[in-house]
Amino acid sequence: MTSIDVRDLTKEYGTARAVDHLTFTVPPGRVTGFLGPNGAGKSTTMRLVLGLDHPTSGSAGLGGRPYASLRDPLRRVGALLDAGAAHGSRTGRDHLRVLAATHRIPDRRVDEVLEETGLGPAARRRARTYSLGMRQRLGIAAALLGDPEVVMLDEPSNGLDPEGIVWIRGLLRRLADDGRTVLVSSHLMTETAAFADHLVILGRGRLLADTSVREFIDARVRPAVRVRTSDPDALENALARHGHRAVRHPDGHWSVPDARVDDIGRLASAEGVPLLELAADEGTLEQAYLDLTAADTEFAAQPQEA
Amino acid sequence: MPFAPVFRSEWLKIRTVRSLLATLFVLFAVTTAFSALAGLDPEDPGADPLFTALSGTTLGQIAALTFGSLAVSAEYRESAAVRLSLTAVPRRGLWFAAKAAAIASVVLAVALVTCLAAQLAGLAVLGAAADGLTTADQVRGVLGGAVYLTLMALFAAGLATLLRSGVATLSVLIPFILIVSFVVGDALGAVVDFLPDRAGQTVLRGEPDGTLGPWTGLAVTACWTAAALLAGAWRLRRRDA
Repeated sequence: MTSIDVRDLTKEYGTARAVDHLTFTVPPGRVTGFLGPNGAGKSTTMRLVLGLDHPTSGSAGLGGRPYASLRDPLRRVGALLDAGAAHGSRTGRDHLRVLAATHRIPDRRVDEVLEETGLGPAARRRARTYSLGMRQRLGIAAALLGDPEVVMLDEPSNGLDPEGIVWIRGLLRRLADDGRTVLVSSHLMTETAAFADHLVILGRGRLLADTSVREFIDARVRPAVRVRTSDPDALENALARHGHRAVRHPDGHWSVPDARVDDIGRLASAEGVPLLELAADEGTLEQAYLDLTAADTEFAAQPQEA
Repeated sequence: MPFAPVFRSEWLKIRTVRSLLATLFVLFAVTTAFSALAGLDPEDPGADPLFTALSGTTLGQIAALTFGSLAVSAEYRESAAVRLSLTAVPRRGLWFAAKAAAIASVVLAVALVTCLAAQLAGLAVLGAAADGLTTADQVRGVLGGAVYLTLMALFAAGLATLLRSGVATLSVLIPFILIVSFVVGDALGAVVDFLPDRAGQTVLRGEPDGTLGPWTGLAVTACWTAAALLAGAWRLRRRDA
């Protein structure tokens, strides 16, 4: 199976540096979340990998080969770059047939991916009648067309309804479990943590982190647990006995800093405290990500001392 | 990557967009109708009967230019469909050649039918005024007219690839053909014979009177078209998609 290899990649548009000496590898078999604020260079990097833009220096390729040298690119790499790429007056099915024709992919496969992405009933409608969510699904269908071993999706959950978001998480998981290489960009940390195994985080075109989700959380997130109970006194006592200092919030939930869900769950069970809700506090994950990207922005904005 | 499947994909692109098919219908209808109408005009008894019978092509070529530029600019509208196209076919030269070939085959087929119909209609209306035309002239008119329209469509396609916009292409070409060549042209003397549209139109004349013969005129237009296509290909290969 093929990995995505980015080596010392730099891309300048005029004087603006969109990608700045970026090096990372996306291996097969796991979902890699490609994170960064808007304008961090995620889409540019994807275009460079696909050979659409020419790098200023460095290289981007698949298994060490440039994309343009692939003989049957759609069967190797599937990409969603822009959900608006379909011509408005073409039907969704014809949009895919046009792409399929370049690789002699049969219409049967076109109908398969339309079903898989839930577009079956809308297949013969013109693309301009599609909602944003349907266009995303059509873009994903196009990426899956050649049954590729590498899948690269730029902000695929944009415009998807909640049901669509659940669907795409399952899809990404299946693709990675098949042993494919999966790179998915997003600017939302919590969303990405819900499906990714690994994170590549960019800020201003530079690599800020290349780490597993688990490591990122362990290293950067101060763990906290969110609890609700029908017996606040019992909970407070139980936590206090085990050395936790819980904070009660006005809406009735408690947060326990420096604690893990596993510990608080077992503790509550052992003490017989009835729990209505027990969750890791995700706000802190988003915060850790913001701290990371904001630190880079602050650093870059400071006047340089010689 | 082989050429045939990429060509088929480009041909499917044309077939599945209604506005492109409509442009081809306009090409047929306008050329035929205006060729027939021109034969009704009694003003100019000394006019070239072959050119009169095919004179609709001077208006029909606007449909051909529109088709050529729309077929390309569909790739550049809204959010750059060209990126998706080049993801499927990363060899840009191959992709552009397939697109040009698809445009050329479609326009040539429609233009052959169109020029034949236009000439039949035009000659029927002219009646005895067209008696002097030989069969060879008539065959040359139909074939040459069809090739001329095809070259104009490709000329626009090349320019649209260079400018990455159908609107920009048509707002250069249509005024050029309607004003510069039609109106201002006669004041410029022999130079005008080498303009892309005027040069090629010599193939539609029974008795070419300018510097160029019918086939050399068409060859001059072919050079313009080749230049436009090469400029488009250069831009496509050099620049980010």
